[in-house]
Parts: sequence; structure tokens; C-alpha cells
Amino acid sequence: MTGLARVGLVASRELSAERRQPDGAVAAVTFVAVLVLLESLVVGPSRARDATVAAALFWIALAFAAIVVAMRSFDRELDDDALDALVVLPGGRDALFGGKVLALAATLGLVALVGGVLSLVLLDLPLALPVHVVLVVVLGVVALAPVVVVDVVLALRLRARAALVPILALPVLVPQLVSATQGAAAALTGDATAALAWSGILLAFALVYGVVGLTIVPAAIE
Amino acid sequence: MIETTFPRGFALRIRPWLGIAAAASFAVASVMALAWAPTDAVQGDVYRIMYVHVPAAWLGWLWSKRPWFDAAAVASAEIGVLFTGLALVAGSIWAKPTWGVWWTWEPRLVTTAVMFVMYVGYLLLRSLSTDFDRRATRAAILGVILVLDVPIVHLSVLWANSLHQLPTVLRAGGSPALDSAMLLTLMVSVAAFTLVYLYFMSARVAIELSRRMTIWGAAGAQPPRLP
Repeated sequence: MTGLARVGLVASRELSAERRQPDGAVAAVTFVAVLVLLESLVVGPSRARDATVAAALFWIALAFAAIVVAMRSFDRELDDDALDALVVLPGGRDALFGGKVLALAATLGLVALVGGVLSLVLLDLPLALPVHVVLVVVLGVVALAPVVVVDVVLALRLRARAALVPILALPVLVPQLVSATQGAAAALTGDATAALAWSGILLAFALVYGVVGLTIVPAAIE
Repeated sequence: MIETTFPRGFALRIRPWLGIAAAASFAVASVMALAWAPTDAVQGDVYRIMYVHVPAAWLGWLWSKRPWFDAAAVASAEIGVLFTGLALVAGSIWAKPTWGVWWTWEPRLVTTAVMFVMYVGYLLLRSLSTDFDRRATRAAILGVILVLDVPIVHLSVLWANSLHQLPTVLRAGGSPALDSAMLLTLMVSVAAFTLVYLYFMSARVAIELSRRMTIWGAAGAQPPRLP
């Protein structure tokens, strides 16, 4: 079995576990939905309709949702003692990291879809370039996932990790959040050039953190 | 046993001299910054805080170049937190009279603040791990990831069109924009802070190694050979 096939296997196993017991995804979707609802109440309806404000809150909510989903995913492995079995398989650590990243990106895609539709409907946002919005969201989700998985792995089996993971992840996610927010705002308001430029930066972040994660993180999986 | 295996090498012998050199150069730099360097034509005496702010920011980045040696990494991270915090506070004090605000959302400032939070997260991760080897591995991995942020800090200087002072010493082409006396004072301040950093570093590394030896000794294990 090739490394890519192992990654696919871990990802599909992860997604079927999430389908059977979707507490992480449900919590993430609810969290994003609540934040979208709160947004217009907190900042006021007119400011909430500003593309940059709406995009910023959407991506911050998605970053927290990513942490919730990833932590729940590893908790499930630890509860079932499944992590040790996965790690001892040939290429298990690489596959575990890659599979977790893929599965997290897929789950986040679903969360982003629900949160995005809610934002568009409730905030009555303009949607000047729908294809560009989808591109930014897909690349943004792919750029968030490796960093979040890396930080959850680093905090694995540590006390107070529920507090530690956001502290570790959010500062590292700043460039991704800025790029995704600017890209989404540009796509919403019709600036195709800026949306594509920010998408390129997001793709670069996804590649860099994906490669770094695959290279060094398996050593930290215990 | 622990005492006899503790290294008494070159680093320990030069530490007192390093401390004296650091204290002396720091005193010279302070006199030069406060009394010798001329008053800036535009900013008045306020600019003198640059002699603390610039070297502190410089040293705040130094730690990330030494992630491979765990004791040195924790020492550098702690000193990095200290100097980055100092750079942020000193920069804020300098900003108020020159820019009229304590803080501005300028990319380089924000990135430095983000780096400061990253350092704190790094130390927090270390403090929550009890096993030395696992802690070192986790910390080294996080250190490598955080190092990726350093080029973003540097590039933000070039990309951002903002209030922040443009690079005055390491500019691409052309001579430094500072008055020669100011530049010399700044260089002496950087040298003084570097010596202070080295002194803190050597002392903290010794403390960390001693701590490990004590814990290994208390556990009844044979202490490993230290560098």
C-alpha cells in the first residue's frame, strides 16, 4: 500500500467515525452559526454587512471550529486506544497526520458551507464573484487544517490542552486568517485580482505547512 | 556524583568575564545613548529610546536560530520573551511622542506582538510537559514552525506602507540614514545587549543543565554525559 493510499484510508476512517458520531462537526457548525448570529447583534446590522467584518468573523469562527473538530478527533482516538495501533503500523505516523489533515479539511468544508450560507443570507452580503469566494474558502480551509492538526498533536496527552491548543494555534494562524479574510472580502466585493492574489498566498501557506507537518510532526506523535 | 559530572569547562570559566564585559558595555552604551549622542533635529531627545528598542527587537529574534539545543532553546526563548516584551514596551513609549499614539496596527508591530505571544505559547508548552525527551521534541517542532514566522516579520517591513520607521541600519543600498554619532551609539547598544544576552544565556543554560542533573540524580538514574 502506498503512502497516499494509507493517508486516504486514515481520512476515510476518520470521516466515517465523524459520520457515525458527529459531535465534533455538530459542535463546530453550531459554534459558527451562533457567531454569525451574534455578529450582527454585537457590531450592529450595518457594520456586520461590511464584507471585511463579515469575512473576518467567519474565518475566526472557522479557526476555532477547526480546533474543536481536531481536538474531538484525537480525543476519540485516545478514548478508544486506537492511536497506539495506528502509530505502530508501517508509515502510520505520516498517514495519521496526512489523513487527519484531509479529514479535518473535508469536515471544515462542510462547516464553512453552512456558515457561509448563513452569513450570506442573514447578513445579506453581496456575492460579486461566487467562484472566487468558493476558491478562497477551499484554499483557506486547506491552509488552516495542517496548522491546527500540528498544534493538537503537540499538545496531545498534556494537561490543560483545551486552553493550550488555541494559544499555540491562533498566533501561527494569523497569516492564514489575514489572507483568507482579505481574499474573501475581495471576492465578495468584486475585486478578482486581489481575490486571486490572496488565494495564491493561501495555497503557498497550505503547501508550506503541509510539507513541514509531514516532515517533522510524525516524530511528535506518541 | 552529580557535582563531579557537572561540566566545569570553558563556558563556566568565561561566564564571570562575560558578565563584567556585559555590565561595562551596557554602562558605556547607556552613557553614549543618554549623554554623548546628539539630539535629533525632529524628534528631540525622545529618539534615544531607540537605543533600547532596536537592540531589544534584534535580540528578540535571535533565539529562533538555536532550536537544536534544548537547554539553549529554552534559555533563548525566555530571553526572547524578555527582550521582545521590552522592545514592545519601549517601542510603545517611543511611539507616543513621535507618532502620537501608544500603539498602531502597523504590520511589523502586530507581527512582533504575535511573535511575543508565540514565545509565551512555546514556554507554556514546555511548562506543561514533564518528560524531558518528549518536551524537547515537542518544543523543537514548535520552534521550527515558529521560525517560519520570522521571514514574514522581515518581509512585512518591505511590504507595509505605514507609520513605522523604515529600516535605518540594514537598508538595501545607500548608507545608513542616521547621524554617525547616533549610529555608533546604536551599534554600541546592540553590542551591549548582545553581551547581556550571552551572559543571560550562559547562566540560564547552566541552570537548566543543573536542574536536569538534579532530577536525574533524585530518580537514581545515571546522568547522561553533558556537553
